[in-house]
Amino acid sequence: MWVPIQINENSAEPLYHQIETQLRTLIVSEQISENTLLPSIRELAASLNCSVITIRRVYQDLEGEGLLRTRQGTGTFVATVDQVERNEYRRAVVQEAMEAAVNVGLSVQYGKEDMTSLFLEVLKQKYEPEA
Amino acid sequence: MQELMAVQMNDVVKQGRNKPIGPLNLDIPVGYVVALVGPNGSGKSTLLQFILQTLHPDEGSIRWFGQSYKNTLPLEIRQQISYVAEGPLLEESHMTVQEAAYFRGHWYPAWDQQRFEELLAIFSLQSQAKLNKMSKGERRKFEIAAALAVRPRLLLLDEPSSGLDPFAWTQMMDEIRTCLEGEDVTVIISTHIVDEIKRLADYVVLIHEGKVKGMVEKDAMLSQWVEVWARGQVQLMSPDVRSDVIEIQEDESGMHRFIVQNTPNILAKLAEEGLEVVRSRALELEETLGLWIKEQGPELTH
Repeated sequence: MWVPIQINENSAEPLYHQIETQLRTLIVSEQISENTLLPSIRELAASLNCSVITIRRVYQDLEGEGLLRTRQGTGTFVATVDQVERNEYRRAVVQEAMEAAVNVGLSVQYGKEDMTSLFLEVLKQKYEPEA
Repeated sequence: MQELMAVQMNDVVKQGRNKPIGPLNLDIPVGYVVALVGPNGSGKSTLLQFILQTLHPDEGSIRWFGQSYKNTLPLEIRQQISYVAEGPLLEESHMTVQEAAYFRGHWYPAWDQQRFEELLAIFSLQSQAKLNKMSKGERRKFEIAAALAVRPRLLLLDEPSSGLDPFAWTQMMDEIRTCLEGEDVTVIISTHIVDEIKRLADYVVLIHEGKVKGMVEKDAMLSQWVEVWARGQVQLMSPDVRSDVIEIQEDESGMHRFIVQNTPNILAKLAEEGLEVVRSRALELEETLGLWIKEQGPELTH
């Protein structure tokens, strides 16, 4: 199978982190459904132009989080994640993205109030389109 | 669990006529692709010849798959090693593709004729063609096809893409990858091509002036440095951040440009130091290699 991960080579964010974040998102959002067999470490590394060391680390991390499981000799599968856990992961993914956005605001000295009103504006745009 | 090493070099030294090589210390784990990089004449090809035992070191020891051997490499080990040399093999020059294949099949018991013919078709080579009548690029394609048809456990490639057209290059890359799908295949590739390192390598070994400067994970190396454009008082940075910064430049408008170790949240840290970061980018592989040669080495040695 193909895993739709997009790497930004210019980003200061380490490769393994970029891949891990995106793969986690794909799993918790159920874009890759449970029990799916993922590509082998060598295959995914080749398709993303990164080393097998990076992919092994990503698979190990996500296995540690309970999102993947490895069956000896068969490969790495997406684990069964119950709804409560899935909600926790979803929340963590969103929180991380929000923190990143707030960090951008901080880096350009954007005030807390401006930030809040901008957030509400974006929220309105996205959740109530055409309203 | 102890990782099995395909090749281990321990204080290997050779006093060349003009350039001494070594001491070389290197551990190459089984199942990985290791790129040897370094300026021309730095000793990359010599290192490969030590592994093949076509050149014997004056001092030091080498182990293959955990074993050391006196004098010559046993046939059964040599037969698991495949090699694409810098130049073509002279004793094959008068042969046709087919004859050379027969010759190699004789030396390599794992020779896979079907795979070889598949590779000939991929590279559009005729089995009746004479090797010395081929263009440099065609001869190269033959060498690569023949090296892969051996189904090697250890594949040594000395600048394999030199002379190849871009289409053949892409095919070669695909076929090396196919070879890697085999069980625990190790590849050592000497190269100047950044794209080859990016697409193939798991580890990068820098060879400089006859010495191994280190072996690092390619991806860690790629994200080791960031270049930052920032406004503010660079001189006022706290010492622990300042020590990670190199090559500071400043333009007339007071904009600074510098390179900094890509530690976690480095951009946020710089902001805390009162710098206004305008732009940042990860360094390209060739830039990182350049810094490494200039002693700004990665601290991520294997």
